[in-house]
Amino acid sequence: MSSDTLSLKIEFGGGLELLFSNQRIHNISIPASVPLDNSITSADSIPPADVKQADVTFLMHYLRETLLTERPELFIDNGTVRPGILVLINDTDWELEGEGEYVLKDKDEIVFISTLHGG
Amino acid sequence: MSSCGNPQSTDADELMPRRLKFGRSRVCVRCRENPGNIVIRHAVYCRDCFSPLVTMKFRKALQPAINASAGTSKRPRLKAEGNLLMAFSGGLGSSVLLDIIHSTYFSGQPPVDEDGNPVGGKKHPRNASVWPSASVCYVEVCSAFPGMRDRTEEVRGAVEQYPSFEFVPLRVEDAFDKSWWEQVGGAPSAFQLSVDLGIGNLSLASASSTPPDLTPVESMRTYLASLPTPTAVSSAIQNLVRMLTLHAARSRGASHLLLGTSLTSLSIGLISSISQGGGYATREELQEEWTPSGFGSTETSRPISIVRPLRDVTMKECAAYAWWNDIKIVGRDKSARAIQGIANLTKDFIVGLEKDYPSTVSTIARTCAKLAPKDAPNGNCILCQRPVQHGIQEWKSRISIRSYADAKLALAAHTHPSSQCDPPAQPLDPMPSLTPRLCYSCHTTLTSRSSRGLKTTGHLPAPLPVWSKQSGQSEMRDAIADYLLDG
Ligand SMILES: [Zn+2]
Ligand SMILES: [Zn+2]
Repeated sequence: MSSDTLSLKIEFGGGLELLFSNQRIHNISIPASVPLDNSITSADSIPPADVKQADVTFLMHYLRETLLTERPELFIDNGTVRPGILVLINDTDWELEGEGEYVLKDKDEIVFISTLHGG
Repeated sequence: MSSCGNPQSTDADELMPRRLKFGRSRVCVRCRENPGNIVIRHAVYCRDCFSPLVTMKFRKALQPAINASAGTSKRPRLKAEGNLLMAFSGGLGSSVLLDIIHSTYFSGQPPVDEDGNPVGGKKHPRNASVWPSASVCYVEVCSAFPGMRDRTEEVRGAVEQYPSFEFVPLRVEDAFDKSWWEQVGGAPSAFQLSVDLGIGNLSLASASSTPPDLTPVESMRTYLASLPTPTAVSSAIQNLVRMLTLHAARSRGASHLLLGTSLTSLSIGLISSISQGGGYATREELQEEWTPSGFGSTETSRPISIVRPLRDVTMKECAAYAWWNDIKIVGRDKSARAIQGIANLTKDFIVGLEKDYPSTVSTIARTCAKLAPKDAPNGNCILCQRPVQHGIQEWKSRISIRSYADAKLALAAHTHPSSQCDPPAQPLDPMPSLTPRLCYSCHTTLTSRSSRGLKTTGHLPAPLPVWSKQSGQSEMRDAIADYLLDG
């Protein structure tokens, strides 16, 4: 199980791409099972009780550690996305999908859009 | 910044219990058929129903302001008095504004109602004729921020997607440029008005102490550098942009100036304006009409309605609308956000609140809509053109004793009948004071002191924006004219 990977399409909008090398679309692969504490070390070496299925909260930490190039505080705040960022999971508001607890599936498309660029 | 702190999530959590973000059903509340794609203030909508919902709120806010009969009529005949000017920042709200205005009134397609049918039926007169012409004004502020990139060309590219809109690029330093002022119909004049911010009563500076021949950029920088706090600088820049846009609208014969203010940014603006002493003009933050005075032709001095058609649409709705309708956002330079002040702190607070308590922001705007000033205004502020409240300077001098020196002054003012804020008619100090012609909030911008104490810029007089000469009431103009003749 822990050797399975998920292919995901990540897209940034509303200026958030500026924090991610100014690249809007990132195709990534992440493990299907990940550490409970969202660290990006391999889950193989840790006890099964400390492992969970990869969810959106893990994805956010993964993006911060691997793709984010500047100003992490504009992306993650208090362990979740910063207020003012709209998250779409397969074109649906993540609030309808359990937010950070949504368990990712292979080929999911996750979009992060900043609403902070004002009027 | 650290001294103010950021009350964001922690305080909100303590004050209010968290509510569910949506009801039980995940099905769209409008068509009751499709699975929902987005939650808007606890209601679930599918993607198909969402965009018409946004454009419907947009038209509901805009159309009653186009002509009087449009408000109640089911099939409004929309015909504006003059032209249209849209303020564009490259940000989310104004990008959505341009797109909806274009698709609704300038694409040659009749606007559609919530069900996708043309509003008023097929025989409805072409809506492209609501305004004879439409232009988009962008004010580049990069010269006010060190290291900020000029984005005029990027913005031009975004505006040129809409061939029916004319692009009007301005620069924030135009506010100190006499030739720009004459271009937009302002009265020519050889002098620049300056104010002495080093002393309490905001005397106009004497001609000899005004630094000669500053370029517009230098004048603007001197003005901003003389302001006491970062909050004052950011509200001064905001006001320069607002006034430049107003004069651009006026000079182009506009009857309507549209702003891309969303419900979220409206609430941010209201709270931050009230916290900076703008309470008297709260209604103007929501909806205002500006009647220019002192400009020749009727064509370019008709009243301008300033409308925020997105005032019932949250930032989240704007973001989803832009995403689902492929609207490209130029975005804003991040250095503008780096400037600290009440506005940005308020923004973080409101955006944080909106995430967990999405109805709160509309409550703020609704509550503010009910506020009405008690007295009739005492003319318009020469810096921002908003109404001036009666007797603010007396009130201010009563409540604020800011230092030992001030206390001594206040004491002196108490023993002599003339208040320290009124220009005393003594031969020692013949220069008129700006104070009676400023609204509370602009007065605060020029005089508020930070905890770090007053800046000592060696008493250099600060140049004032070009419109301050003309926008005063006639008595002010006379006072200035007399003074200049004497000096
Ligand atoms: Zn629907
Ligand atoms: Zn003012």
